[in-house]
Amino acid sequence: MNQALLSKSRLADFVSYLVSGHKVVAPVPLQEGRFKFDEVQSLADISLNYIPTILPPKKYFMPQRSTLLRYDLSKGQDMEEMVELEKLVLFGVHTCDLAGIQCLNIVFSDRPKDLHYLARNNFITVIGLECSDYCDSFAGCAMLHNHLPKGGYDLFLTELAECYYVHINTQKGEEMIEEASIFEAATKAAEGELERLRSRKKELFTSEVPIRYQDIPRLFEETFDSDVWSQLGEKCLSCGNCTSVCPTCFCFDILDEPELDLGSGERVRVWDSCQNEAFAAVAGGDNFRKKRLERQRHRFHRKFKYLMDRYGRLFCTGCGRCSRSCMAGINLKRTISALIEERG
Amino acid sequence: MTRPKVAFFDFSCCEGCQLQVANLGEALLDILALVDLVEFREVMSEKWSGRYSVTFAEGSICSDEAAEKLRKLRERSDVLVAYGSCAATGGVNGMQNRIPREKLISTVYGDQWRAEETRGVRAIHQVVKVDYTLFGCPINPAEFLRLLTAILGGISWHASDNAVCVECKFNENVCMYDRGATCLGPITRGGCNSWCVNNGNVCYGCRGMVSNPNRAGAEEVLQAHGLKPELIAGKMGMYTGALEADDGT
Amino acid sequence: MEAETVSIENSGYRIKHGLLSRITPLTKQEKLLEIRLPEGEYLDHDPGQFVQVSVFGVGEAPISICSSPTRREAFEICVRQAGRVTTAIHKLCEGDVVGIRGPFGVGFPVLPLEGNDILLVAGGLGIAPLRSLINYIIDNRRDFGKVDILLGCRNPESMLFSSEIGHWQKRIDLNFCCSVDHAAPEWAGNVGVITALIPGVNLYPLKTFVMVCGPPVMYRYVVDELLKKGIPERQIFLSLERHMKCGLGKCGHCQIEDIYCCQDGPVFSYQKLKHIRGAI
Ligand SMILES: Cc1cc2nc3c(=O)[nH]c(=O)nc-3n(C[C@H](O)[C@H](O)[C@H](O)COP(=O)(O)OP(=O)(O)OC[C@H]3O[C@@H](n4cnc5c(N)ncnc54)[C@H](O)[C@@H]3O)c2cc1C
Ligand code: SF4
Ligand code: FES
Repeated sequence: MNQALLSKSRLADFVSYLVSGHKVVAPVPLQEGRFKFDEVQSLADISLNYIPTILPPKKYFMPQRSTLLRYDLSKGQDMEEMVELEKLVLFGVHTCDLAGIQCLNIVFSDRPKDLHYLARNNFITVIGLECSDYCDSFAGCAMLHNHLPKGGYDLFLTELAECYYVHINTQKGEEMIEEASIFEAATKAAEGELERLRSRKKELFTSEVPIRYQDIPRLFEETFDSDVWSQLGEKCLSCGNCTSVCPTCFCFDILDEPELDLGSGERVRVWDSCQNEAFAAVAGGDNFRKKRLERQRHRFHRKFKYLMDRYGRLFCTGCGRCSRSCMAGINLKRTISALIEERG
Repeated sequence: MTRPKVAFFDFSCCEGCQLQVANLGEALLDILALVDLVEFREVMSEKWSGRYSVTFAEGSICSDEAAEKLRKLRERSDVLVAYGSCAATGGVNGMQNRIPREKLISTVYGDQWRAEETRGVRAIHQVVKVDYTLFGCPINPAEFLRLLTAILGGISWHASDNAVCVECKFNENVCMYDRGATCLGPITRGGCNSWCVNNGNVCYGCRGMVSNPNRAGAEEVLQAHGLKPELIAGKMGMYTGALEADDGT
Repeated sequence: MEAETVSIENSGYRIKHGLLSRITPLTKQEKLLEIRLPEGEYLDHDPGQFVQVSVFGVGEAPISICSSPTRREAFEICVRQAGRVTTAIHKLCEGDVVGIRGPFGVGFPVLPLEGNDILLVAGGLGIAPLRSLINYIIDNRRDFGKVDILLGCRNPESMLFSSEIGHWQKRIDLNFCCSVDHAAPEWAGNVGVITALIPGVNLYPLKTFVMVCGPPVMYRYVVDELLKKGIPERQIFLSLERHMKCGLGKCGHCQIEDIYCCQDGPVFSYQKLKHIRGAI
């Protein structure tokens, strides 16, 4: 069985079932129509209708600050590699964020593998939730082909008129469904309804940017010296918002945090940003991306070109977070449109 | 090994930073197990006549007398730390440097003013060499502990040069601009763990700007949010007036 | 359900204990450290690779291995005091222990050099990784053709490995030439930039491989001179310095376009680098 149905009236029971055995995190509302993933106790805490959270789910896979190892100088230069693990159910993840998690998985599974990431990844169950409409004008998931589910979850819920259509993608998901024992078998009618919803989505989710997915890397290749980058460089404040909120930005710094007595401490990794001034500076005084325009161009090229060259997929999910949070109003879709226009 | 002799002194300031230290609670006890606190007006009355291993200086320097006292402290100290915005950048006190002295003093003291009372405001490093600098109005307790650890370990310390927004996003705060307020976070030096925004306030830029801010870009953003240029200049320079004219005396 | 901290093994962040078995000051700023790994463990590196040297409580710094892999029992690094970690390393004494991760990256190509002539161009601290290769060549001298070494440094006092260089100068199977930016009148050698030495080298371009390491400003000029001499692009190798944190191709600090210097480099052929904007 790869499909099941959950009647709408039982969704609360499903969340209660999850909460009874796991820590569950899901989108919850904040002020000003913003949301964040946070621990929930029941369906009532959850916003099923939400636009991308301030921080993407990457904060659970690769937290803002996480321990790599602990050292103890009293026993020589002794150390023990550590990872903070927590069994989690991530509930209500949209397709753009599922794509983001997949991107991170690729990077951290690439050799040399990142065991800290992979260990955490193993402890997280992902339950996706389909969007039926565009979040807002910043969203660009259709341009990046991320408005439809393409794996990356254990279970995936799509809201139909009377019930949720559930795609079961993993054995772990299947076991949850069995244990909860509130799911029903999928019906032909529900299948038909799902298909209609998906084809309606195809019309609703159109890319407003006139470019095909497969042509995007070439656009960036051909516009490396474009004036658009100078304009971005003039506007950008180097605040680092865009990279923190990006579901596929994974750059980090490594720091030692000694205890006050200096005898022991932790080596930790902390999110870093290519937009921060000193990110590419070296000891001799050279800074390889000194100008803001170079740093902005690097950010965009990482999403649309460099990591494509390396890993064979675009690293922009279309979630729109960078544009939504940019202090200077730098807008990803408008930037791509400007590049297209300039190239002609 | 003898424990380092640590002392705290204040110059022109509100003494809020030493209050932060005095209020460290349990961490303070941990510190006291590692160092000899030899002078600290806020918590003790003893005085020390020997050499200081580490001297924490709070406040800005507003008179020749204060400058002289600071120079003497520098001579007696192995390590001198400027802590808190008044010490690090001159702090809010520095705003007075923009006003002609006579006008300033007559406004404050009325017709009773005496011209020699004070002179321009200077940050500590504008008077003597400083080994470590801790920004913040007031200082952030967690950062203070990290700094102290570095000092005790004889390790150099770089204050953060990332914008406040970096930590603010780590903390997943709703952006002040989304809440209809203007905030200096994007160009202000972080390290404070976005303390103010976490508590519902905007960033006032108490640590001064990052070392290479995009000033024009920030002005544009603030203007787009309805601020007048004079107000923007005032906000941006609120804590850094003393650094504007470095007369080096 | 509470978060727990568990130990894992053999993650990329594990350090090995490196015993500082000998410390030799070279100049005011640089020290040569000889490091031994625990009994039975060898670094097993290629010339041009680097290690992450760590002092717990302070952090890690990427440092080139400057000894030849042919000398296995210990390895050497030459550290310039440049900031937090390197200062902490300078404070250590013989018998102290540092943390070692690595070796990392792709070093100088060794096998293609067999039977060919070799030109080594080092600027300042760039001599460190090249010394590894030079001593490798010396230890396998008959496998290689003519070997020329060009060294540039600021002034005679800042010259690294000067006594060893004295030995190189005496050998009949190495041609050594040095130039300094500034020198007192009694200096007998060349004065001027290192690029000025290249035209004078007598070489057979198609059979010569060139290895370059030095400060970033040097590369453009050196490569232009080499190309003028007719050396093919694929026979010119450059070692790039970038900010590095993880050494594992993850943290992003060392990235230039789609390459990670820590894993794909730090040594690259000019043929590859010329397509990578911002590399040199
Ligand atoms: C492949 C490679 C090989 C190197 N080989 C040698 C060598 O053989 N000998 C030697 O003395 N030095 C070498 N370096 C340079 C050395 O890594 C830096 O001097 C050192 O990292 C500075 O760290 P710090 O903590 O002492 O300085 P910090 O106090 O951290 O900073 C001082 C300056 O160094 C820059 N910096 C900080 N961390 C790094 C980093 N990880 N990489 C580069 N720059 C950094 C900062 O931006 C700052 O400008 C090499 C660097 C690379 C990338
Ligand atoms: S969010 Fe905007 S202003 Fe801030 S660093 Fe990114 S592009 Fe620059
Ligand atoms: S040093 Fe981290 S990616 Fe190269």
